[in-house]
Amino acid sequence: MEQSHTVYSTKTKCIRLVLMIFLIAVAMLIIYPIVYIILGSFKENSELLLGGTRLLPRKFVLDNYVQAWRKANFARYTINSLFLSSGVMLLTIFSTSMAGYVFARKNFRFKELLYSLFVAFMFVNVGSVTLRPLFELAVKVKMNTSLLSVVFISAGMGQATYIFLVRGFINSLPKELDEAAKIDGCTFFQVFYKVIFPLLKPIIATIGLLSFRTGWNEYIMPLVFTMSNDKMRPLTVGVVMLRNSGDGTAAWNIMFAGAAISVIPIVLLYMFTSKYFMSGMTAGAVKG
Amino acid sequence: MSTWKEKIKHANSRGDFAAALMLLPSVVLLAVTSIYPFFWLFRYVCYDYNGFIAYYTGTHNFTRMLSDTTFWKSVLHTFEYAGLKLIFILPLSLLLAVLLNQKLRGSSIFRGIYFLPTVISASIYSLIFSFIFAVFNGPLNIALQNLGWISKPVDWLGDVNVVMFAVVIVAVWGGLGNYMILFISGLTSISEEVYESSRIDGANGIQTFFNVTLPMLSPVLKVILMLAITSAFKDYESIMVLTGGGPNNRSHVMFSYIYKLIFSSTSTPQIGYATVLSIVAALIIGVITAVYLFLARKLDDVI
Repeated sequence: MEQSHTVYSTKTKCIRLVLMIFLIAVAMLIIYPIVYIILGSFKENSELLLGGTRLLPRKFVLDNYVQAWRKANFARYTINSLFLSSGVMLLTIFSTSMAGYVFARKNFRFKELLYSLFVAFMFVNVGSVTLRPLFELAVKVKMNTSLLSVVFISAGMGQATYIFLVRGFINSLPKELDEAAKIDGCTFFQVFYKVIFPLLKPIIATIGLLSFRTGWNEYIMPLVFTMSNDKMRPLTVGVVMLRNSGDGTAAWNIMFAGAAISVIPIVLLYMFTSKYFMSGMTAGAVKG
Repeated sequence: MSTWKEKIKHANSRGDFAAALMLLPSVVLLAVTSIYPFFWLFRYVCYDYNGFIAYYTGTHNFTRMLSDTTFWKSVLHTFEYAGLKLIFILPLSLLLAVLLNQKLRGSSIFRGIYFLPTVISASIYSLIFSFIFAVFNGPLNIALQNLGWISKPVDWLGDVNVVMFAVVIVAVWGGLGNYMILFISGLTSISEEVYESSRIDGANGIQTFFNVTLPMLSPVLKVILMLAITSAFKDYESIMVLTGGGPNNRSHVMFSYIYKLIFSSTSTPQIGYATVLSIVAALIIGVITAVYLFLARKLDDVI
C-alpha cells in the first residue's frame, strides 16, 4: 500500500502501461468466444449464416431459445444435465467426506496401501477403452437406460483428489475435538456426523462445486452411454450431436442457443464462487 | 469362542465396523469404475472382439499394430500436439502469473477472467471454436481478411497444414487459466524479502525473474510441468468435437483413434485391437513421465 505513493519515473509508467495493454488484450481474447456465443444466440439464423465480425445482434430475437427448448429437446437435455451434475456432486460429497475422515482419523492395517491404490489409479489413464467394460456392466445390471450409471462412473473416477482434500482438511482440525466428543459418549460415526462434518463446510463447498462442474461438463462418457437413447442426453452431448446430424449446418441458431444454455449457468455459478474453484484447483494439484 | 466374541466387541467399541462401512462407498466406486476396467483390458488382448463374439487370433493384434501406419501417425501427432501445446501454454501462463503477482490494479479481475475457460466443458468450447473457425462465415477468417492478413479464407479445421495449430489454439485457450493459477500459488510462496534484497542489489525486473523467481519456483515448477505433460498427452475430447481426427486422420491423437476403433457408429467395433493400442498408449505416457522425472532429478544435481 505504501508503494502507491511512490512517484514512478516515466520509464516505469511506460512499462506499466504496456503490461496493462497486454493483460487487457489477453483478457479480451479469453472472453471473446463466450461473448460471441451468448450474443450470437440472440441473432437470427440468417445473420449467423452470413457471418461477420459484428458481435451485437442486428435484430434481437429470443426465438432461438424457444425453438431449442420446444423442438430440439433442450428442456430434456437441461434436466438431464442438472440430474447428472447434482448426482455426481451428492455422491462425491457423501463418499469422499466419510472416506477422508476414516483416512485422517483411523489407523488400520494396509491404510497407506489402500490410499496409494486410490492415488495410483488416478494416474493410470488408458483413455476411453475403460468405458467399454463399464457399458457392458451397466447393460448386465440393467442400468444402461438411466443416467445413474454415468453418475456413478463420473463420481468414481474423481475419488482420489477429493479424498485427498478432505483428509488434508481434517488433519488440520485438532484431535481434541474427536476425543471430547468420544468422552461425551459419541460413537465413531456420531463424531463424524455431529462434530466433524459441520466443520467441513469450506472444503465441502469446494468439492461440491468442482464435482458439480465435472458432471455438468462430462462429454465422452454420456456420449457413449446415450448413443442409442436421445432422451438421456445431457446438454453437452445434445448440442454437439445436433451439429453432426443432417440438418446441422442449417441449425446454427439452435446450436448457439444450446451452447449458451450450457455455458451461462456454469459461468454465473463461477462468477459468485470463483475463489472456491481456484483454491480447489491449487490444493488438489500442487501438494501432490 | 468367547475371545472371538470379545474381539468383535472390542473392535465395535473402537468403531472399526463403522469405519469400514464409511470407507465402503469409496472403495466400491474405485473397484468398479477404475480397477475392474483396468484388468478387463487384458482379457481381449489376443482376441478379435466386436462386442458380441470374441475370436481368438493369437498375436494378430500385435502384428497388426506394428504395421498400422494410422496408429503410429497418431502417436506422432500426440507428440506434436503435446509439444506445441506446452511450448505455448507454459511460458504464457507463467508470464501472466508473474504479472498478476505484481499487485497491479485489477489483478484479481484479470485472474478471474483468465481462469474462466476452465469451468466450461471442453466439448462446448470446442463447438464454439468450430463456429469461430468456420471457413466462410466464421469471424476469424472475416476479421483476418478485413485486416488484409490473408487473401482467401483459411480452412482451419479442414486443411492438413493448419489443423494442428487450430487444435492447439483451442487447447491453449482452454487450459491457460489452470496453469496460471498453479503458477500464482507457487509464486505467492516466495517471500517478499527475497525480492526486496534483489531490488537492493539493483536487479531489474527481467534479472529478478531469471535469477530469483525461477530458481525459487523450481520445486513447484516441476510438479506443474509433470501435470502439464501428462495431461497434454491425454487430451482428446476437444479434438473429437473439433475435427473427429480429420482431415485425412491428420489430427488424430492416440486416444481419439482408439475411441474411433471402439465406439465409431459407422464401422464394426474392434475392441480387442483397441485394448492392445490402449495398453501401448498408456505405456508411452508412462515412459514419457518416467523420462521427465529422471531429467528433472538430473537437472537438480546440476543446478
